Amino acid sequence: MKKIKIAHLYPERMSIYGDHGNTLALEQRMNWRSIKNEVVRVEVGEKIPNDIDLIFIGGGQDKGQLVVANDLLKKASQIRDFVESGGPLLSVCGGYQLLGEYFISNDYGQIQGIGLFNIISKATNTRMIGNIVVQSEKFGQLVGFENHSGATEFIGRANPLGVVKKGYGNNPNDKLEGVIYKNAIGTYLHGSFLPKNPKVADWLLRQAIKHSGQTLKLKELNDELENSARKFASKRP
Amino acid sequence: MRSLLAILAAKAASKLNRVSGSGGSSFPGLVAKKIDKDILEKLVLNNFPRGIIVVTGTNGKTTTSKLIANMLDEAGITYVHNRTGSNMEQGLISSLTDSVDISSKISAEVGLFEVDEAFMPKVCRAIKPDTIVVTNLFRDQLDRYGELDKIARSFRSLFEDLPGANLVLNADDPLVASLGFNLENERKATYFGVANYNGPKLKHDYTADSIFDPFTQEKLHYTDRYFSHIGRYRGKRGGFTRPKLDFVAEDVKQKGIENIKFVVNNSTKVIKLDMPGLFNVYNSVAAFATAKIALEISDKDIIFALNESSAAFGRSETLSYKGRELLLLLIKNPTGLNQVIQSYLLKEKDRLLVFVINDNYADGRDISWLWDAAFEDLSDYKGKILVGGSRAYDMALRLKYAGIKGVSIEPDESKLLAKIEMNSSKRSKVFMLPTYTAMLSMRSKIVSEDEKAKEYWQ
Repeated sequence: MKKIKIAHLYPERMSIYGDHGNTLALEQRMNWRSIKNEVVRVEVGEKIPNDIDLIFIGGGQDKGQLVVANDLLKKASQIRDFVESGGPLLSVCGGYQLLGEYFISNDYGQIQGIGLFNIISKATNTRMIGNIVVQSEKFGQLVGFENHSGATEFIGRANPLGVVKKGYGNNPNDKLEGVIYKNAIGTYLHGSFLPKNPKVADWLLRQAIKHSGQTLKLKELNDELENSARKFASKRP
Repeated sequence: MRSLLAILAAKAASKLNRVSGSGGSSFPGLVAKKIDKDILEKLVLNNFPRGIIVVTGTNGKTTTSKLIANMLDEAGITYVHNRTGSNMEQGLISSLTDSVDISSKISAEVGLFEVDEAFMPKVCRAIKPDTIVVTNLFRDQLDRYGELDKIARSFRSLFEDLPGANLVLNADDPLVASLGFNLENERKATYFGVANYNGPKLKHDYTADSIFDPFTQEKLHYTDRYFSHIGRYRGKRGGFTRPKLDFVAEDVKQKGIENIKFVVNNSTKVIKLDMPGLFNVYNSVAAFATAKIALEISDKDIIFALNESSAAFGRSETLSYKGRELLLLLIKNPTGLNQVIQSYLLKEKDRLLVFVINDNYADGRDISWLWDAAFEDLSDYKGKILVGGSRAYDMALRLKYAGIKGVSIEPDESKLLAKIEMNSSKRSKVFMLPTYTAMLSMRSKIVSEDEKAKEYWQ
């Protein structure tokens, strides 16, 4: 079997909220099933390899986002083509915002996004901080921690990742959290997101394998600890 | 008049605290501030003839101020110090109301305060320090402090508002160093740092944040990164770069977990600190620089004080528990935890290892930071590992993804203590790594158990 390649976009500038846990979860869940894999770090000014099977982008400090936003525009058509052809993508927090139409920031005005998701985001004066629990049709209960002052809204047609049961989600008003478009996910959940939500991790891996042109049924793993951690986290204030 | 009332009320509250053993060290400060909201400013007015020193930064505040206090002791300079680590506004007020007499006079010559990063602008605008020390800025409890840049920005504007203050800054931390870059009116900061470090480094350090020029966002060029974003770096010609060191530590040699040796400014006298870790070399050289420029304490007194120093409360403290020697190592953020892994855990891999992870407000509600710490470096740890606290399952999960097997989970503190006893023999040595609130509660449980045992035998 050909190895599965993950592109981790901007690990130096966009991984402040424990984002390492997301790529680690993907890697280990492949290692435990003896699926060969590689995480390719792609920084500003570097090319995303053509043969990647999954894209991950995390959250960063506001200050670093302008540089990243400009670089993303150069990669926009490659990322869009990848997603249109069924490639899986996970974006968290700042990364999620930059994949929308635009982000209006306090310090830099309107920052152009790559328009992958039908969302717009605006800086607000309320910081949305705390444990968050989401109910998702596709994945069941999801838990995480959110910490953002940008509020995100859908423009036109868009499907949320889930409905907020506790916390804020996309914005303080509509109780929706994240977005799914084809096999691309955007979310405000870190914590880290994938280790405690292994159904999402495995779903991303299934799409990655399919996208690589291979067929393989993912072996079930023992997720008892993952599920206990999620249960405990969902009860924290 | 109002301030006198505030002082008296705080003193009464403090006495009540001591009698009842409750209330906490910030309670008198709370009382005083309720009566007079400007009490902090009034308390320092016309006091401290030899100046006020403030120590801030993510890690090392408590240890650095303790080292400075030892130097003041050695030089025979009297001081007031918020020694219990109560580093927010009310804690500071409490330490002052304790020392002030009813005519608003404090007999100490120096005020020495560690101040929480988030409270710096408010506290410093009130007490107007003569010297400000910044140890470092790392990612830390982002739910409480916000992002590093936000803190740095608040510091920069504060420093502009205090044009007379000495700035003692870590040159090896780009974001901290940049706070003294291009100051107005040819004002110069004092820089400390480490010239070179050949000791061990972690293989899985994910905590570097400030590896970019803070003004242009271009990547800095590191010739050596010691840990996180701390090291020797340079920027573009004509722009921001690592400043010249005024106080420089070198020849760093660590032996086991016992001590670390180094020299400062080419001195022939080797300093031997009775605590390990490169981070403690940074704390020492920061204290050295401060004692020198703020108070002109002699090298002899400074070096003597450093050689006699031990770690601060709960930071690296040995407790005895049912015949076991338990080393308590506080963890608060990934960079600090990495330093503990590197300086302690990797040196004695056979010990029983206990993590106690809470997510109370004072710990930070967000435990994402566990995923950024270098647990992968512990893959060949040989001792048994126990995890406890309100986030025991998250901790266990982190270790699972680091490939570490056989971890035992016990969220309940009393049961965890029983498990420690079960999994260790008498006279064995144990590492315990608690978050802040877990440190306080485990410490008091252990100390009271140990006293009970002693009374029984007496």
